[in-house]
Amino acid sequence: MTDDALNVALIETLCMCMVITSVSAVETRRLRLATVAYVVQALLLVGLLLTFATVNPALYGWAVVALLTKAVLTPYFLLRAIGRADVREQQPLIGFAPSVLVAALLMTGFYRLTHVHVELLAPGAMAQQEVFRTNLAVASTVFALGLFCVLTRRDAVKTVIGLCLLENGVHLSLVSLAPELPETALFGVATEVVVTVYLLLYVIGGVREQFGTTDTFSLKELQG
Amino acid sequence: MNDEVLTVSSLAPALAFLVPVVAGVLVLLLRRGPARAWPVVAGVGAAAVLLAGVRMVTATIGGAVLVTWGGELRVDALSALLVALIGGIGVLALLYAVRSMTGGSGGHEGRERRLCLFYALLSWFLATMAWGCVTNNIIMLYVAVEATTLTSGLLVAFYWDRRGLEAGYKYLMLLTIGITFALFGCVLIYAMAAATGELAGGDALLISEVRGVAHLFPAGTALVTVAFLVVGFGTKAGIAPFHPWLPDAHAEAPPPVSVLLSGVMIKMAAYALARTVTIFYPGWPTLTVFAVALGSFTMLLGIVAAMGQDDLKRLLAYSSVSQIGYVVVGLGLGTYLGCYGGLFHLVNHAVVKALLFMCAGAVVYATGARRISELGGLGRRMPVTAFCFVLGALTIAGFPPLSGFASKLTIYLALARSGMWWAAALAVAASILTMVVLVRAATAVFWGSPRGAAEGAAVREVPGLMWAPMAVLAAACVLLGVWPQAIYPLLDGAARVLATVGR
Repeated sequence: MTDDALNVALIETLCMCMVITSVSAVETRRLRLATVAYVVQALLLVGLLLTFATVNPALYGWAVVALLTKAVLTPYFLLRAIGRADVREQQPLIGFAPSVLVAALLMTGFYRLTHVHVELLAPGAMAQQEVFRTNLAVASTVFALGLFCVLTRRDAVKTVIGLCLLENGVHLSLVSLAPELPETALFGVATEVVVTVYLLLYVIGGVREQFGTTDTFSLKELQG
Repeated sequence: MNDEVLTVSSLAPALAFLVPVVAGVLVLLLRRGPARAWPVVAGVGAAAVLLAGVRMVTATIGGAVLVTWGGELRVDALSALLVALIGGIGVLALLYAVRSMTGGSGGHEGRERRLCLFYALLSWFLATMAWGCVTNNIIMLYVAVEATTLTSGLLVAFYWDRRGLEAGYKYLMLLTIGITFALFGCVLIYAMAAATGELAGGDALLISEVRGVAHLFPAGTALVTVAFLVVGFGTKAGIAPFHPWLPDAHAEAPPPVSVLLSGVMIKMAAYALARTVTIFYPGWPTLTVFAVALGSFTMLLGIVAAMGQDDLKRLLAYSSVSQIGYVVVGLGLGTYLGCYGGLFHLVNHAVVKALLFMCAGAVVYATGARRISELGGLGRRMPVTAFCFVLGALTIAGFPPLSGFASKLTIYLALARSGMWWAAALAVAASILTMVVLVRAATAVFWGSPRGAAEGAAVREVPGLMWAPMAVLAAACVLLGVWPQAIYPLLDGAARVLATVGR
C-alpha cells in the first residue's frame, strides 16, 4: 500500500485539528465546552478513519463504531453527568498560563519525538511512510495531552475527559500499527471505553451525592 | 519450543467463561424472584469454571493443548492452572458470600436490594478472569483484563458509602489508565509480528504464534513494548510503584470481593504480564535482571507499608503487594526453577490470601470493627477464625512445614542458582518482616482476653457457611506444605511453558 492514493493534505489538516481540539478540551474550564471540544475531536477521528479507509476498506467499520461510541454515546454520558450542576471544573492543580505552556511543550516535544524516532513505534515499512508518521506523531501527542489532563486536573469529570483523549490517542495509532485488526477485536476495544466512561461517571455521581463535590482532592477518607 | 504438542479441540475453554456469563444474565433475570436463587445460580457459574479448569488440568498434564475456535482460545498447563485456581477460589468466595453479605455487624443497610446485581457482577467477574486466561489473542487479552476491571469496579464500590466510592473511583480510573498502556504494548506486539512477514494475517494476533518470531523483532520497539506492558499489566497486578489503587480497593470492597481481588485477580494480571513479556526473554535475557529488581522493590515496599497499618484489611492488602513481588521475582527470573517457584507461590498466595481476607471479613462480621487497635482477645469467642488466621499468617510468612515455606524456598534457591544473591537476601528479609507484621497482627486481634469491640456479648463465631470455606483453604495451606509434590505435574507443565532462559 502506498500513500499516493491518500489525500495527504486532508489527513494532515485533520491531524492538526485533532491536536488543537485536544488542547481545547484540556484547557477549557467549562465542562460543557470541553465536552464539545471532545465531540469535535471524535468527529475528526471518524473523518481520519474514513480518509484512510479509501486504501483500507476494513476501516469503514471501525469508523462507524467510533462514530457511535465516541461521538454519540460518550458525550451523551458526559453531558448527562455534568447536568445542571457546576459547569465550571474545579480549580486544576496548575494555573492556566503554566498549563498552556506545558501543553504546548508536550505538543511540540511529543510530535517531534515520534515523528523523528518513528521506527521505535512503527515496525512495519508501511507505518514509516510520511502520512502514517504524521498519524503516529499525532496519536502520541493526543495520548500525552490526555495523560497530562488526567494528572493535573482535580475535577473528576474532567479526568474522565482526559481519559477519553488518552484512548483516542491509542485508537488513532491503530490506523498505522494494526490496520488489519479483525472487527471483533476493534469492537471489544471500542465498547470497553464506553462502558468504562459510563461506570466512572456513575461512580462519580455517587461521589457527588456523598461528598457534595466532584473535586478529587476531597477524596481523602483513605490514607496511608 | 513445544513444537510437538498434541493439540486437542475442546469446548472446555469456551465453557469456562460462557457459563458464568450466562449465569450472571440469569441472576439479573431472576431479580424479582427469590433472593436465595441468586447465589445458587452464580454458584453454578463458578462451579462450571472449576469443572472446566479441572478438565483442562487433566488434559494438559497429559501433555495436550486444548484449542477452540481455530486457535482463538488455547489452553496449555499454565492457563489450566490459572482457570482451576479462579474456579476453586470463586466457588469458595461465593459460598462465603451467602452469609457474609446478608448479616453481621457491617452496618451497611439497604444493600439487600442490590444483592442481585452483586451476584451477577461476581459471575461476570469470574467469567472475564477465566476468559483472560484462555484467550490466545493478544488484543483480546487486553480486552479481557480491562473487562475484569469493569466487572469488578462496581463491586469495589458496592457499599456506596464515602470510603467505597473513593476506592471505586480510584480503582476504575487508575486501572483504566494503566491498562491503556498495555493496549499500546499489545498492539505493538501484533504490529511487530505482522511486520516480520513470517505469519499469515490473523496468526500475528495469536500469542502462541508470536513467540516463534519474537527474535525477528527490532530491539528498540521491543523494549518500548516491554515498558508499556510492564506499566499496563503491572498496574493491574499491583506491582510497585503502580500499586496505590490496591490497598484502597482490597480494603473497601465487600469481603468476598476482596478475596477474589487479592486471591485471583492480581494473579491473572501477573499471568498476562508473564505471558506477554516472556515472549521477549529469549532475545533480551537482561530483562530478567530488571524484572527481579522490580519484584524485589515491590516485595519490600509492600511489607514496609503494611507495618504502619492499623486497619486489618489494609494491612492484608499491602501484604498482597509484597507477595505479588515474590511471584514477579520468580516468574521474572525466567529459569525453570524460578518459574516453578513463582507459580507455586502464586497458587499458595491465592489460597492463603483468600483465607486471610475471609478471616478479616469474619472479624468484621462478628464485631463490626476493622482497626487492630479496637480489637483484642477474639480467639476465645471465635476459635475457628483465630486458628485459620494464625495458620494463614504463618503460611504467608513462610513458616515450615506450611505451603508458603516450600514456594519461598524454591524462589530463594532459583535466585541463588542464577547468582542473584542480593535478591535472595532481600526476599529473605521481606519474609522475616512479613512474619513480624502478620504474627503481630494475629496476636493483637486474637490473643489474650476480650477487649475493645470484641467485648460485646453478641460477639461469637461466624456461621458454618462462612467458616467452612476458611477451613478448606486452611487445609490446603497445610496439604501443599507437607505434600508439595501433589501439584508437581501441573506446576511442572506450567513452568515449562514460561521457562525461556537458562537452567
